[in-house]
Amino acid sequence: MTSRERDAIRTAAGIGLRSVHVAEVIASPPGVPWFEIHAENYMSGGPALRALERVRRSFPISVHAVGLSLGSAEGLDPHHLHRLRALIDRLEAVLVSEHLSWSTVGGRYFNHLLPLPYTSEALAVVGDNVERAQQALGRTLLIENASSYLRFRESPIPEPEFLAELTRRTGCGLLCDVNNIYVTSANLGLDPLAYLEALPGDRIAEFHLAGHRVNDADGVRILIDDHGSPVTAEVWALYADALERYGPRPTLIEWDTDVPALSVLMGEAQHAASLMDALAAGEPHALPR
Amino acid sequence: MRCLAEVQRTFADALLDSRASDIAAVVAGDGVAPGARVAIYRHHVVTSLTAALRTMYPVVCRLVGDGFFAYAAHEFIVTQPPTGPCLSDYGEAFAEFLESFPAARELVYLADLARLEWALNRALHAEDTVPLDLGALRSLDPQWLDSLRLRFDPSVTFLSSPWPIDSIWSANQGDADPEATVDVASGPVRLEIRRQGDDAVFRRLTPAPYAFRRVLIEGGALATAADEASAVDGDLDIAAALHELFTDNVLIGFRVTSGPEEIS
Repeated sequence: MTSRERDAIRTAAGIGLRSVHVAEVIASPPGVPWFEIHAENYMSGGPALRALERVRRSFPISVHAVGLSLGSAEGLDPHHLHRLRALIDRLEAVLVSEHLSWSTVGGRYFNHLLPLPYTSEALAVVGDNVERAQQALGRTLLIENASSYLRFRESPIPEPEFLAELTRRTGCGLLCDVNNIYVTSANLGLDPLAYLEALPGDRIAEFHLAGHRVNDADGVRILIDDHGSPVTAEVWALYADALERYGPRPTLIEWDTDVPALSVLMGEAQHAASLMDALAAGEPHALPR
Repeated sequence: MRCLAEVQRTFADALLDSRASDIAAVVAGDGVAPGARVAIYRHHVVTSLTAALRTMYPVVCRLVGDGFFAYAAHEFIVTQPPTGPCLSDYGEAFAEFLESFPAARELVYLADLARLEWALNRALHAEDTVPLDLGALRSLDPQWLDSLRLRFDPSVTFLSSPWPIDSIWSANQGDADPEATVDVASGPVRLEIRRQGDDAVFRRLTPAPYAFRRVLIEGGALATAADEASAVDGDLDIAAALHELFTDNVLIGFRVTSGPEEIS
């Protein structure tokens, strides 16, 4: 990673790189400022990693991990940290991020970002794990708020305050997922704008944007963060609020299920970029679409 | 109040078993049964892992149908969830699971077909390596040749089956002739699966070279491999069989263990 690359993506909207688009990206490099990958998809060798290294020659790459399980009471897997470090070094990652969640307990890995009760004990656990990870990776980690579908009975600390305290204790940055704030707030009856405003803005180093769908559980409306559709108007509006409040940051479009043509993702990224540009030009932000 | 480790164990148990009753003690319902909220997470875990298995075992899925595959995958996932976060490592035990899965018993070749698909997946994700050059053996004193042990490219698997699993696999590819039939009773096959360039490939081996390579990949000495291969076919030219390992580019290293020092 070069500081020039970091400057170049500071106000730029990138795209989550999905395997179906890799060949196209190599064959004719598109006008995308940067890509983000899921670390765990590239930890074995072979053609996939070789192709990614070719993409890296033309684009800055952000490494987004999903399997560190930073919220695990039993601590981190040193082998996994080692593999992640090797990948980050190999790609000279421009940003490195993980989630405020857990996925491993008792040697079982659940392929999901599982929720944490926000207690002082959990804060100590996550703080220790983040510090250990940052040490092993030799990097500042950006911690992302995950979408939540439930509340623990014992969870006295509000999520944005938990994140703020985590940044104070560990020096980590934040990856503010605007869609996840919207989904969590809708599911748990929170005010998304108040959530956004409770975050330490100077620690936010990246925004994520994605689509969600609406489900019904026992007659209660629940939003599901499935990354399978365009960013909704409400989330664009919340993103515009975030830009207005905190200024531009590298912003990523995520789309993981029913992945459409690359041009569709580029259209979403261009809309995010236009909102950042409008802010820079001092215009009132473009209308959410 | 429960400690975090207890909360996580309780949550994990509820993810794997919808009948686990303890979850209401830690999760608030807020207008919904707490179990229904956990079910949202369970649904994602099971569907995403089922999708991963479907990518890994496309021919098994095609043979049994989507519905049956989802049912089998669900049973497999809740009894043998992943042990680590790299999903390309998940599912090796699926073949063994299918072998003992009563509902799949009629398809006698299904488990071996799954083993072939696993080997192809493994080949696809193996690390890139540099093949061992025959010249590397020139420095070796011939008296140590018997105790020579060879290291194979990590993409290589040897797999035998009483069923023609390679033909069944090929007949179930998108470009296969839909009219073609496979004689399931056409006898056993011995396969070598590996990566070539960007592709995972397989081919049949005859019994003696298969025995030879199989002993070697399992770490056996050259003398043992030669003995076992000769027992299968007394006419096998061992020097030629060894030479072929080099021209096939399947080796990446060697060592000698019974001499005064180890060379590698």
